[in-house]
Amino acid sequence: MPLETQTRTAILEFFAETGIAPTPATVAERLGVDVPSVQRTWVRLREGRAIVTGEDGVSIRMANPFSGVPTDHTFESAGVHYYANCAWDALGIPAALGRGGTVRSHCANSEEPLRLKVTENGPEPSDWLFHSLVPAVRWWDDIVFT
Amino acid sequence: MLFFRSEDDLGAWCRDRGVKPGPAVPVPQLWRLSRGWYGNRLDPEAPRRTPGEARAIFAGVGLTGSFWDPVPRQEATP
Repeated sequence: MPLETQTRTAILEFFAETGIAPTPATVAERLGVDVPSVQRTWVRLREGRAIVTGEDGVSIRMANPFSGVPTDHTFESAGVHYYANCAWDALGIPAALGRGGTVRSHCANSEEPLRLKVTENGPEPSDWLFHSLVPAVRWWDDIVFT
Repeated sequence: MLFFRSEDDLGAWCRDRGVKPGPAVPVPQLWRLSRGWYGNRLDPEAPRRTPGEARAIFAGVGLTGSFWDPVPRQEATP
């Protein structure tokens, strides 16, 4: 398996296990390779939109559906607290993990809290709505805003 | 990408910002989209998704039209 694929998988697995973003050193240790190799792969993953990094170019801000920074959209399962990048990703995390838990967010207008129980088969009945202001073709113009 | 508890809240939020609302997606439909989009995200063998495959996932859960098209039609590869 190419190192790029191994690195991408290791990043997502680390998020899935811990809820937080790994560093290149963490991934290198996990894969048994040297850190500079992983750092070079980091760049390719960023260019390929598999990850979004912070201003330092290294720390992972996004590895969809996981967020490396705190947000208002979360999922909690099996004692692990996950930050999602957006409302969609709050449901994307249980979909990716294939296990249930609790989504927490809020109404962007009223600030009313949303607490949504999710099983592996989907969320409990809810009449809440998801909305994207930005059309799909422009999501990556500014993915953090999106 | 945000949650709203009702159409009224979505409308008020957009009016306050002077923006036109996009499509409102009910939670059950968002879940189906999430399953299609992220269901294999942890699978190392999952291939990189093409724009056509992304479009098909949206269409498969009833999200069609230009808003959900990841690539303008004239730029899309066959």
